[in-house]
Amino acid sequence: MATREEMLGRIRREVRRAPGLFAASPAPRPAHPEEAAAALRREMMERWPAALARFQEELERVAGVFHRVASLAEVPGVIRDLARQRGARSVVGWEPAALGLDLRATLEPAGLSVTVAPPGGGESARLAHREAAAGAQIGVTGVDWALAETGTLILVSGSGRPRSTSLLPETHVAVFGKGHLLESLEQVGIMLEALHADAARSLSGAMINFITGPSRTADIELTLTRGVHGPKEVHAVFVEAL
Amino acid sequence: MSDQTLRTPFPERASAALKDTFLQQALGIATTKFIGLRQESFAGFPEGEALRDRARAVKEATLQKLDGYLAELADNVERLGGHVHWAATGEEAREIILRLCRDRGLRRVVKSKSMATEEIDLNKALEAAGVTPVETDLGEYIIQLAHEKPSHIIAPAIHKTKGQVAELFSKELKGHFAADPEVLTAAARKELRQKFLQADMGITGANFAVADTGTVVLVTNEGNGRMVTSLPRIHVAVMGIEKVIPSMTDLMLFLAILARSATGQKLSVYTTLVRGPRHPEELEGPEELHLILLDNGRSAQIAGKLREALYCLRCGACLNVCPVYRQIGGHAYGHTYPGPIGILLTAMLKGDRSVKELAHASSLCGACHEVCPVRIDIPRMLVELREGLDRDRIAPWGERLVFKMLGRVLGSPMLFGLAGRIGRVAQKPFVSDGRLTRLPLVFGRWTRSRDLPPVAAKTFTQRWKELQ
Ligand code: SF4
Repeated sequence: MATREEMLGRIRREVRRAPGLFAASPAPRPAHPEEAAAALRREMMERWPAALARFQEELERVAGVFHRVASLAEVPGVIRDLARQRGARSVVGWEPAALGLDLRATLEPAGLSVTVAPPGGGESARLAHREAAAGAQIGVTGVDWALAETGTLILVSGSGRPRSTSLLPETHVAVFGKGHLLESLEQVGIMLEALHADAARSLSGAMINFITGPSRTADIELTLTRGVHGPKEVHAVFVEAL
Repeated sequence: MSDQTLRTPFPERASAALKDTFLQQALGIATTKFIGLRQESFAGFPEGEALRDRARAVKEATLQKLDGYLAELADNVERLGGHVHWAATGEEAREIILRLCRDRGLRRVVKSKSMATEEIDLNKALEAAGVTPVETDLGEYIIQLAHEKPSHIIAPAIHKTKGQVAELFSKELKGHFAADPEVLTAAARKELRQKFLQADMGITGANFAVADTGTVVLVTNEGNGRMVTSLPRIHVAVMGIEKVIPSMTDLMLFLAILARSATGQKLSVYTTLVRGPRHPEELEGPEELHLILLDNGRSAQIAGKLREALYCLRCGACLNVCPVYRQIGGHAYGHTYPGPIGILLTAMLKGDRSVKELAHASSLCGACHEVCPVRIDIPRMLVELREGLDRDRIAPWGERLVFKMLGRVLGSPMLFGLAGRIGRVAQKPFVSDGRLTRLPLVFGRWTRSRDLPPVAAKTFTQRWKELQ
């Protein structure tokens, strides 16, 4: 088996032998990513309405569904309606601290069975939660960023925010507010640079998912089909007061 | 690809493909559709052209310090708790994965679509070791059930009809399935969901890996890439060394052009950033992450004639526009990577000799160069490859002789005029329907797979004089 030294040594020798095709450098990065991110967040506090309109347009273009409610208190109503229309009985969701919403308190009285991700890890909790998530018809999550130019929801995994909530159920409901909106991929780059510049945050959550509409394939005769492995439906709920 | 396939010479493989009318139709529809989607997507994206230039520059800049970026990537993956393995050859990469399975007693593997694992022929090795690898990308799943090979980089099963898929599923999945993509997709979803939940190991490729953060990036539409990296206990990613990029800022650049070039989407449905194995405070995710850095002939091209092919993002755009690919499809190429870039990658992985016929399977029209998101000059490298085949006497002697003669003739106005006069007379018995379709002697090699226009009755110079 090759060792790191052998392989890197070989590559280094070749790199030294090659002059390169032309003078080139990587994309220029923000010098102070955390400050750039903070400045961007301030700017977005002014510009979010246009970004929200674009987000809705792009989300709908990729077959996502947009909802708008005044406050968090109205979100359970949206979920209850979705469940009723789909004959869904069980819901899985992020824990209240991560979501800003207590799903069990608000949905169980309506007759839905609700599993909420426990904070922290552990083998038995993992297996129990996986079973619940795999059996649930609706998965409810928050978001970290909502990218307007592509209608994309970006979710960082973490404690109480399992990665499968937005993956296993057939319907994914994501709750977001104006503070999550970004305009461009370039801005997502600034946010990710800032996240990694922060020693603590750079180590929290082992997965970041960009989700652009429901799961799809065109592998059989190029016929577009939704819900291959991931959700068949993606609902983004914008909460004005968030 | 089986040795049997490769024993059939390329011209015969190509002729067989040309006679397959369904394949012809499917290829026509698929490639035309992909071309249209790509064009539409870039038409509404004026900044795309500048982004392509910048992305190209990032690839070149990365190669100029590839050793440094790989070391940085490896350090960061390890800092996040992942393991990094170095594989000089495909065999070493296979051995690393087999050992992981053996040591841990693992038998059930789920895979998301990865050209790198196709390249190292991993599935065969796993099966021989008693491990069952299940392909989970719908197209890959179909061809795995059918015991075939992918025919397109991003649409592996475009050569199959829904009727054929229905028949296949009815037989393999024990049931009756209608020839309807919705029904068939639902059947695969149900079947594969169980596999995801039961698997011990998930194997993926990597579209990118960010050196500065130690992040492995996967781009998928179906969600199988997310399943494979979320549910099994162990995640193994196999990645060519050229896939490393410096930073998250660079990643955004590539994401902006990758899906547009491949399928015309602004972004693929899922872009998954893997930052090491599950963190202690997390409920889900693999306990172990193994990143295998694969050389397999790549490093030898850093200073070689195929350097630029190391920029490739595997988007498939150059396949769709290639007049040769559009006619013969992926299988006739006979290797893991088809299409114009596939010829170069095959030469990179298996040596120039392996493409002594394929190097000519291009009209050098330049369409691939035009659509490539990182503007890889494929025609230039194909010409250099042909030159090398001649210089190293790999090309057949007849071909080399003809080209040597041609070189002389084209280099001398006197000889050129003389050859024209001789040709005009000598060609007479061989012209049919205004084309030269069967030449004798060494020239016959050319006309076996191509027609030639005959030498014109009057030269351009003569006609020009008359016009004056
Ligand atoms: S050579 Fe260019 S167009 Fe072809 S697959 Fe690679 S990146 Fe895409």
